[in-house]
Amino acid sequence: MNVIEIKNLTKSYGKSRGITDISFTVEEGEIFGFIGPNGAGKSTTIRTLLSLIYPTSGSAMIFGKDCIQFAQEIKREIGYLPSEVFYYDNMKVKDLLNYSASFYKKDCRKRIKELAEIMDLDLNKKIDDLSLGNKKKVGIVQGLLHEPKLIILDEPTSGLDPLMQQKFFDLLEAENKKGATILFSSHILSEVQRLCNRVAIIKEGKIVAVEKISTLQENNYKKFKLQTKSPLPNDYFQQAGTHNLIVNGNVTSFMFRGDLNHIVKKIAELDIANLWIEEPDLEEIFMHYYEKEA
Amino acid sequence: MNIFLHELRAYRKSTIIWSLSLVVVIALFMSFYASFAKDAEEFTRLLANYPEAVRKAFGINLDNFFSILGFYSYPLSFITLCGAIQAMNLGTGIVSKEVREKTADFLLTKPVTRTQILTAKLLAALVSLVITFVVYFVAASITALQVKTDDFSMKTFFLLSLSLLFIQLIFLAVGMIVSVIIPKIKSVLTVSLATVFAFYFVGMLSATSGDEAKRYLSPFKYFDSSYIMEHTSFEASYLITGLGIVVAAILASYFIFVKKDIHAV
Repeated sequence: MNVIEIKNLTKSYGKSRGITDISFTVEEGEIFGFIGPNGAGKSTTIRTLLSLIYPTSGSAMIFGKDCIQFAQEIKREIGYLPSEVFYYDNMKVKDLLNYSASFYKKDCRKRIKELAEIMDLDLNKKIDDLSLGNKKKVGIVQGLLHEPKLIILDEPTSGLDPLMQQKFFDLLEAENKKGATILFSSHILSEVQRLCNRVAIIKEGKIVAVEKISTLQENNYKKFKLQTKSPLPNDYFQQAGTHNLIVNGNVTSFMFRGDLNHIVKKIAELDIANLWIEEPDLEEIFMHYYEKEA
Repeated sequence: MNIFLHELRAYRKSTIIWSLSLVVVIALFMSFYASFAKDAEEFTRLLANYPEAVRKAFGINLDNFFSILGFYSYPLSFITLCGAIQAMNLGTGIVSKEVREKTADFLLTKPVTRTQILTAKLLAALVSLVITFVVYFVAASITALQVKTDDFSMKTFFLLSLSLLFIQLIFLAVGMIVSVIIPKIKSVLTVSLATVFAFYFVGMLSATSGDEAKRYLSPFKYFDSSYIMEHTSFEASYLITGLGIVVAAILASYFIFVKKDIHAV
């Protein structure tokens, strides 16, 4: 079953911002990454899903229901954590969380306590007095306290220290095991790589690829770096399948996808001093998507 | 219901401060009545020396200025000015406060419709105004009864005071429509002070010209105190106009807010 189904979603703002013709689906039980540079349209897409803004054309369904028409009903089962959290400053953490819980028709007190304990959050402080990281924790507890079936996170990790980030990811994985579907937007690849099953890559308001993380990692790209006794001609490795070729004195590096035998044969002809062949990390793979077409 | 209570709690402090301020102003002013009444004749001569336009601008009517009701209508124009600022603040804050303090994301991603949110917030603002009015009216009545030299009609007194609440309702609605139309209001107070004072001065100017039609331009002139004292009722045409403004502004606010894009800040 598809928890989120986005069809040809377009939101234009007059100028260049916005999203164009976005389509992808998130299946039940997935942790789905939504990745792209700042300003690519991640938040616009998410805000449309939450009916904070309305699409220019196209539609989105959540739990099989139109996200605008059935917004109220859908939101009962959604937990949302915005990238920047600002809450009613003059309230205590406890009061804010209780206020948040009062929107859902269930008793969340136990869950609030559990979550606050996991995230090491002091419930009796005033929100005003909290640091950015602690405010973020309030956001996390607020987003999860009603045990939603769909968790939408918009760049959730900013402001969290590595230890808290780890706890937060563990928490998300636990929620996921209990059956929650997660949409995780980020511009930090390592966290997406660490957490997600599938990922949609967005660039300048358009989806450029939807892939399994494992496929992305298994793709045939290899990262070559070799040191030779004397500098190589700049175009020695230039051929179909080669990317990011850099010749820097005696050191040559490039990425390659294709029949490895061609490259190995070429290397065999050289007098080499050192050789590294590595799996590229996602960051390097994604750079292709990120780079603007000239 | 939870939004309503939350908002009401948020308004608690401002409601108390506004109510007390209005009480202090009216009590202070009414306490002068005894000495005014004593020297009524002298004052009348003094005031008669002012040009008629000035007297009209300040709403001073020599015929009834020294009856307690006539005297009361003079501070009332300042009271309504203050009340209008309070109401406009509340109205303008309804939507813009959430957007400015970035709490809109919190509220709008909860399982409530935008209509429910707006209704709850509007009702909370309304209750805050009614509380202010009741506190003010009780205090004003007590002081008036304390300082009176002759008996006066409590009904007229109530109607005069009621113009405060009516003007507040108009400015609450005006503030609300402003808050949904203007995308980002940095300071509620600037917007509301500017608007309220603009209408106040338009009202003063229209009073000096004596042109009845111009009175429609400023809600401050919809509830003419001399008319109320004479007829013990409001002028129907202005009452209807005021009601029309309130209904139209509120309906338009709902319509716009439900369709509005709420952007990340």
